[in-house]
Amino acid sequence: MSETENKPEFIKNLIAQDPPPADKQQQHKEVLLKKIEHRMCMQKAVIIAIYTALFLVAFGAFMLREYTDNVVHSICWGTVSLHILLWSLVYILRGICMQMEELIEKKFDNDEKRRHKNQNLFLTIVAIMAFVLSSFLLYRSFFLTNALKAVQTAVSILWATIFFLIFYPFRTASLIGMLWFEYKKMELKIPKSEEQDLKSQTE
Amino acid sequence: MEQDNISNAILVLKCQKRDETAFREIVNRWEPRLYYYIRRIVENENDVWDILQETWLAVFQNIRKLEDPLKFPTWLYRIGHNKAVNLLRKENKYAQITTEQIANHYENNTTISVVKEQAELVHKLLGKLKLAHREIITLYFLEGFSINEMAQIIGVSEGTVKSRLYYAKHKLHEVLKGANDV
Repeated sequence: MSETENKPEFIKNLIAQDPPPADKQQQHKEVLLKKIEHRMCMQKAVIIAIYTALFLVAFGAFMLREYTDNVVHSICWGTVSLHILLWSLVYILRGICMQMEELIEKKFDNDEKRRHKNQNLFLTIVAIMAFVLSSFLLYRSFFLTNALKAVQTAVSILWATIFFLIFYPFRTASLIGMLWFEYKKMELKIPKSEEQDLKSQTE
Repeated sequence: MEQDNISNAILVLKCQKRDETAFREIVNRWEPRLYYYIRRIVENENDVWDILQETWLAVFQNIRKLEDPLKFPTWLYRIGHNKAVNLLRKENKYAQITTEQIANHYENNTTISVVKEQAELVHKLLGKLKLAHREIITLYFLEGFSINEMAQIIGVSEGTVKSRLYYAKHKLHEVLKGANDV
């Protein structure tokens, strides 16, 4: 800190020597907030568009299942629709899990943070690999002639997705538990006198 | 001061969760200081407004990447500095800072005591300093940043910050002493 007396007043006085003109400041804020609002809307619109497109593709695949005469193709199209919908659900669950992770990460020291980051990176790589591999297997199963083989492939593909669908909610739940535990620890650390002060303030 | 830091950190956390009201509050809180700082680097007022606009948009875009909310002021000023310097570089006005001689062995023990009434004097003196020194001393007075923080904002070594700060403080000290004697 600089060795100044009455620092806040000094800063106030210093800024007052060259203040931003009020009209320009107002105009600048309006433009800025409009731009930010626009960006937020665009971000939301992009996300909505992506999910709508995914849903439409999945629905298209589901409809193709109805109209095809080939049993193998029917199984494969049905699996494609589920594959798309379930992986998009995995992505949403991962997003929720990451938000929880961000909250709890603030309590970690650097080593723990690094460990958590490495774990997440590993999981993401495994998930991407599972998605790519199952998509490839799904593509290949279109060329199968044996319906039984096609069903077996479809089930194994969906199992990989189900694993992540179960894993992420459990991880999110464990993170919520950790957060609750940290909160309780914080509560216990507050000395009695401070707690009473806080209570009297809220009353 | 501590409370200010905490409330600031809370606002940053809310901004990271895309809370528009918190962002508005942060802009209201920091804009006058940031304006004063950028105005000390860039002369043209219209350019200052453009830089402010770009700075806030960059803040909004990247605030989620800020890991420690308590480091928001340093981060904000660094973005502001980079935007201002980019503009000066386009106009070839930044060369004078980078080509200056750097001395790393200054003892940085000159202390300055200023009272609130001397703000006008400090402001006038800032105009007389070279850009590099003006920037350092503005950061020093406005936010009371440490040497390390100022080095991070400007993107130079701590030794460079020390030497610039020493020179600027020395000059300011002389002027303030003269003013007190009168």
